[in-house]
Amino acid sequence: MPLELKSLSKDFGGFRLSPLDLKIERGEFFCLLGPSGCGKTTALRLMGGFETATSGSLFLKGSDITKLPPHKRNIHTVFQRYALFPHLNVFENVAFSLRLKKRPLSEIQERVKEALKLVEIENLATRKTNQISGGQSQRVALARAIVDRPDVLLLDEPLSALDPALRTKMREELKAICKKVQLTFVMVTHDQEEALQLSDRMAVMKDGICLQVGTPKAIYEDPVDSFVARFIGPVNEIKGEIVEEVEGVHAVQSLCGTFKVKKNGVALPKHISLLLRPEKMRILRTKANVHDNLIEGQIQELSYLGSRTEYTVKTKDNAFKVFEQELERQKKRSLNPGDKVFMTWRSEDSIVLPER
Amino acid sequence: MSYLKDKSDSLQTAAKTIPASAWFFMSWLVLMTLIPFFIIVGMSFLERTEFGNIRFHFNFDNYLVTFNVVYLKVLLKTLWLALIATASCLVVGFPVAYYLAKQAGPMKQMGLILLFIPFWTNFILRIYGIVSLLGNNGLLNQMLLHYQIVDSPVRILYTRVGVYIGLIYNYLPFLVVPVYSALEKLDPTLREASFDLGAGRIQTFFKVVIPNIKEGVFVGSLFVFIPMLGEYVIPDLLGGAKEAFLGKVMVDQFFTMQNWPLGSAMATLLSVIMLFALILQNRWKKNSGEAHAA
Repeated sequence: MPLELKSLSKDFGGFRLSPLDLKIERGEFFCLLGPSGCGKTTALRLMGGFETATSGSLFLKGSDITKLPPHKRNIHTVFQRYALFPHLNVFENVAFSLRLKKRPLSEIQERVKEALKLVEIENLATRKTNQISGGQSQRVALARAIVDRPDVLLLDEPLSALDPALRTKMREELKAICKKVQLTFVMVTHDQEEALQLSDRMAVMKDGICLQVGTPKAIYEDPVDSFVARFIGPVNEIKGEIVEEVEGVHAVQSLCGTFKVKKNGVALPKHISLLLRPEKMRILRTKANVHDNLIEGQIQELSYLGSRTEYTVKTKDNAFKVFEQELERQKKRSLNPGDKVFMTWRSEDSIVLPER
Repeated sequence: MSYLKDKSDSLQTAAKTIPASAWFFMSWLVLMTLIPFFIIVGMSFLERTEFGNIRFHFNFDNYLVTFNVVYLKVLLKTLWLALIATASCLVVGFPVAYYLAKQAGPMKQMGLILLFIPFWTNFILRIYGIVSLLGNNGLLNQMLLHYQIVDSPVRILYTRVGVYIGLIYNYLPFLVVPVYSALEKLDPTLREASFDLGAGRIQTFFKVVIPNIKEGVFVGSLFVFIPMLGEYVIPDLLGGAKEAFLGKVMVDQFFTMQNWPLGSAMATLLSVIMLFALILQNRWKKNSGEAHAA
């Protein structure tokens, strides 16, 4: 267990990070996901030692490091703005921690070269930090943090300073690099796609409270509340009341009709919110190939996005977002705003939460 | 040669880009600084008559006199004094700058204002203020005697220590401000990154903070070192006119000995030394500047 947080909290007076319990496994890529001001950065700074905890404790490989200053923790950070040392060149930036440890020169050269090779910037070793691009700075910061193999590597919104095109590319590379170095990573991000793509597990936070910890799939498919469900991806919501249950299939009565929901072995409250992901609903031109649930509506708006088309469909008392994959759309008649359509989904594809 | 060529090119472009509003200041500089400077340089090659007048006879005699052992010793002593005083300013001023840069909000403004408040008072008055503090019957000695820390007054006034105290007191802000602004500009996450990578406070200070503010420290040091070289009021009033410093010797040549050509030669020599210091600084700045620009 490389890193364990036991009721770790921080009180800034105005802002409070509620006691946080997390166990981060060896070799895991863990994400702290949440909107700004949710306490994710505070949690990361507590792990790095840049803030002192108000209460609780922090264990690194079994030993208590709660009160240890940053330089005595074998944890390194990739800072949001990289914080490369401007007075040193790329090589010396990466070599910084090894030089502090007074390693022999041959070892330093070898390991720095190895780290630079890993992030594919061997050719930049002699450059000044102001002679390289943002993406390259990102790589230097990463190389600098992994060169002496810390127990845990912290990443503070590492991709947010890059422009969007580069961000997507770096995300893939970051994933590949992490697989190669096999360290334990903790990353802070407010970008749910980033968290979904990179993490093995993640914690979703809001207002200083950790709402849910789980794998990307578990968080996406089985969120604990409507905030988590909405933060991780778009959803449609139907409020309703369970009127009957037959072998795990519940009938939910709502203003726009009665729907079937399949939930096995879970006790559900009477009043519920039915959450539907736009990609789990299909849009139909005619009433054919219907799944368990059907709802009628009229197209209000549509956006063609290349890989998929996003529709906003108006029903009697609600509006739904539905995605249609391009391959599927091509097979069918094109739709225009105003067209009458049907939406359908399977009874097991909805998320059920107690009504707020 | 190429260096000179670069210089003249950059001077030409500089002249073209001077905004209209700056012309007043530029003409002022030329009229009140540059022209008098060349008059001094010119005069250093002339001759003094027995009655203290100036004879237009081109010669190098004044420089030969200046390179006399006695005057060279004065020059060296002055350089040494200025060096020690600059170093002391650094020792005293650096923590002040560091403290101010770390403060946030009103304390910062307050500190900076306090630093400059003495400058609202006339320079000579401030020095006399120090005289009254450090003298045998001064506040400091009275306190020391009162609390029986010493039996007889400590002699500070009219010693070298008195001169240092005066110099440090007067020049400190000129060092603090450049160092402060360099520290202010330093990205605080650099220090965090340094801690993060395993450096303690002291290592961070020497390996990250100092290398990134050294230009500010150097500029601040020059700001105090150069005027100290020509300083004569402080050594005169606080040193008791016992010791001959270059500034004092020069002033004496002009106003007591009525030997303007010799005084001019000394002044020219001092200016050359200062010029070297400035060129050195410029070179340094240019080197780091190139690295930044690329």
